[in-house]
Amino acid sequence: MSLCAFLLLLLSFASSGWAGEVETFPNLDLNDPRSLQEASRVLEAEIKLAARPQTYVLVDLVSRTIQIKGRGIELHRIPIVTWSAGSLRDLKDIHRLIARPPVVRRKIDPAAAVEQEPISLDDMPVEYTLSFAPPMTIDVVPAAGPHLLQWIASSVKTWWRDLKRWGGSLLTDQSATQGPHLKISVSVENAQSLAWSLVDGMAFVIRRPNDK
Amino acid sequence: MARVFFSLSAIILVGLLVASVPPDGQVVSPSPEVSRLPALEEAGLRTLQARYKALSKQLSQHMPHQPYILVDTARNHLYIKRQQEVVLDAIASTGSGTILDKPGDGDSQWVFDTPRGEFLVQSKLTNPVWVKPDWAFIEEGLMVPKNPADRVEQGVLGEYALGFGKGYFIHGTLYTRLLGKNVTHGCIRLNDGDLKSVYQLARVGTPIMIF
Repeated sequence: MSLCAFLLLLLSFASSGWAGEVETFPNLDLNDPRSLQEASRVLEAEIKLAARPQTYVLVDLVSRTIQIKGRGIELHRIPIVTWSAGSLRDLKDIHRLIARPPVVRRKIDPAAAVEQEPISLDDMPVEYTLSFAPPMTIDVVPAAGPHLLQWIASSVKTWWRDLKRWGGSLLTDQSATQGPHLKISVSVENAQSLAWSLVDGMAFVIRRPNDK
Repeated sequence: MARVFFSLSAIILVGLLVASVPPDGQVVSPSPEVSRLPALEEAGLRTLQARYKALSKQLSQHMPHQPYILVDTARNHLYIKRQQEVVLDAIASTGSGTILDKPGDGDSQWVFDTPRGEFLVQSKLTNPVWVKPDWAFIEEGLMVPKNPADRVEQGVLGEYALGFGKGYFIHGTLYTRLLGKNVTHGCIRLNDGDLKSVYQLARVGTPIMIF
């Protein structure tokens, strides 16, 4: 009896001690086994990434945020307006970005009297596709907002690309080589901010919701 | 009529209760088939919770427990943070992102970006001098000097400099009006007051997270 009481006391101390630590996923339902499993899978991936000096990206589809992280700390957060995915089942690896979105850089001309303008966030693309190894693609598109014309142009482009991708998948088994596909819409400023912060080889981890 | 109905119902209910109580008066627990499943689920849930908590703790062990430097190159801000608390928020200047051809080196170019990722403070200098690299002369259309002494320039980096590898420094600037803009060749510039605070708060080994 006294042993049971001691164990219970120990358990209560252990749980109260944990409550004081950093909560990785504050809104996690601790009574939902599937949510716990998914959160643990993401944590396992993050532990691997946080062990090394690098920054990485957590695309949290549950809290609808893109988080740039390092050593497990959230460095920057970008809200996701909407997202869609073909299948969430395969979004379970650590994916490495093959190349960051292209940036048009200005070249310094020593002979010119005028100093070159530096690049800024406005020079970053607002709509782009990120390719990864192992295979995965993420389309980043601007959400409808104050930049309506930009959004319409981008939507038409995205629609045409999706159509080509679908057509290609009918003719060949492209889906097997392209891997899972995720489409994320963020504000124009955040799409540019994300493009700015990405580096070649950056690791991405996706946290999937339960309900899809 | 209703009274008779209620009386009969009460008698039947009492009878059923009496029949369900075992002869020795003990309360019967639900059948094992019924009870085992929730118990197993409960145990499984506790295991999952324990695993999640253990992993959270493991991840938090990788987080820096001393102050660290955070640099937002898009918005040109440098922060010193202690866990989630912001100890210092300073306007900075970071890399311009422009490129410059390396003369006589094919397609080779200098790219003036502030590097992204995680670094450490490797050195702390007072009254640093700038040893101008080749690009500083080439971008001005000047000849690269042969005498190393001709590369040295004093008083342009402020009173302090913190090196974080490959020739990159956090240092001061004469061009304070350009703070908040992407104008540097990759280094991180601060005003004198903020630079002094960073110098005092950071130690060799302090992490620098740049995104």
